[in-house]
Amino acid sequence: MSPEQRNEDPGISYVTVDGIEGKMARVELPDGTTEDWRLASLPTGVKEGDVVRLDVQGGDVDLEVDHEETDRRHALGQRTLDRLNAQTPAGDLDL
Amino acid sequence: MRRLLLLAALLSGGALAQTALPGVLTIRFLDVGQGDAVLITAPEGQSLLYDGGRSEKRMTELLTQYGVRSLAVVAASHGDADHVTGLIPAVQRFKPKFFLNNGIAATTQTFGKLTTAVKTAGTQGLLASDRVINLGSVKVTVLPPPPGMPRGDQNLNSVGLLVEYGAFRALMTGDSETAETQGWLKTYPASKLGPIDVYKSIHHGAKNGDSPAWLRAVRPSNVVIGVGPNNYGHPTSEALALYKSVGAAIYRTDLNGTVTVTVQPGGKYNLSAVKGTGTTPQTRPAAPVPRAPTRVPALPPSSVTYPNCAAVRAAGKAPLLIGQPGYSRKLDRDGDGRACE
Repeated sequence: MSPEQRNEDPGISYVTVDGIEGKMARVELPDGTTEDWRLASLPTGVKEGDVVRLDVQGGDVDLEVDHEETDRRHALGQRTLDRLNAQTPAGDLDL
Repeated sequence: MRRLLLLAALLSGGALAQTALPGVLTIRFLDVGQGDAVLITAPEGQSLLYDGGRSEKRMTELLTQYGVRSLAVVAASHGDADHVTGLIPAVQRFKPKFFLNNGIAATTQTFGKLTTAVKTAGTQGLLASDRVINLGSVKVTVLPPPPGMPRGDQNLNSVGLLVEYGAFRALMTGDSETAETQGWLKTYPASKLGPIDVYKSIHHGAKNGDSPAWLRAVRPSNVVIGVGPNNYGHPTSEALALYKSVGAAIYRTDLNGTVTVTVQPGGKYNLSAVKGTGTTPQTRPAAPVPRAPTRVPALPPSSVTYPNCAAVRAAGKAPLLIGQPGYSRKLDRDGDGRACE
């Protein structure tokens, strides 16, 4: 591969598995939109919520679940949600 | 006469419409494509949006179309993008008082954007628990996920809502699956779960949603399926057969458009839909199927675009491999990852 071609590769990016529907997976792309991919095109054992790392080099695509990034995002999201819910009022609500 | 015309316009689902009518509860099962979104407006004007579909743009259009002026509560049945994306503009625009949720964060950017919007709006998070939200004179009972649901599964932790106004009852239970509905059957007496006048189909009519035991308890008179073009086979023939077996009339947002229920004091109700209500789903043509999924995963768009293969060749870039700048599926007719071969 030439240096020029190497520079044109998008390199590493991440998609998130939003849902698994039978043989399909709904993934969130880096731009925040969702797209359906065949579940078989994702790493074996992938689960909902997993962050998948894509490494594109010279036209070859390598995918693997990034457990560290998955855990990081989950922990961050959970902390945010917990803070939002921390002052949840008790009892019935009249609006 | 003028008053009657106004009433007719409001009940028909026209553009005027989310203005509260004295004494009338309005529930709209919004046509958001493949996803769920239900807008509930009390006779006194308070509104609750249960799920928001998968498109910010679509929800923004619908909120404008139906003349929504305020939202008291937004509720996420669970964290999947086809349920929460449209809640983002709803929160940004109306700064609701409460954000009802299941307490389990999703890892998507979409969910993060939603919680950021909630925080920025000063909206109070409301962790689902056994409680009643009195939306004016409408009683909304929260059905939190029953005990024992695995926290890693969003569907199994869907938050349900039971809406009651006079004798009228509507039920919505997100994308819950059999384990969750079994839990609810153990948690609540049968008299609480049914009979239901208008019921939102579980999980867009998926195979893993509604079950015979659950529907025997719910006893729905009408089922509304929030569904659009999809690659998952929703609604499934199994779900449609189930709804038919319990004698329910079936409405589908892909065929009928937004389905509107208006409920009079006492509970007498009427269903109408943008594209008509004469649905016989088992014999209707299937919803249009979107393009087949790509053979290889799509990649983030690059900054380089080519209108056609002639332009690619002129640039000396043919063939373009997936991942290279300018590659797009529309230039790769056989989907093998090599465009303009």
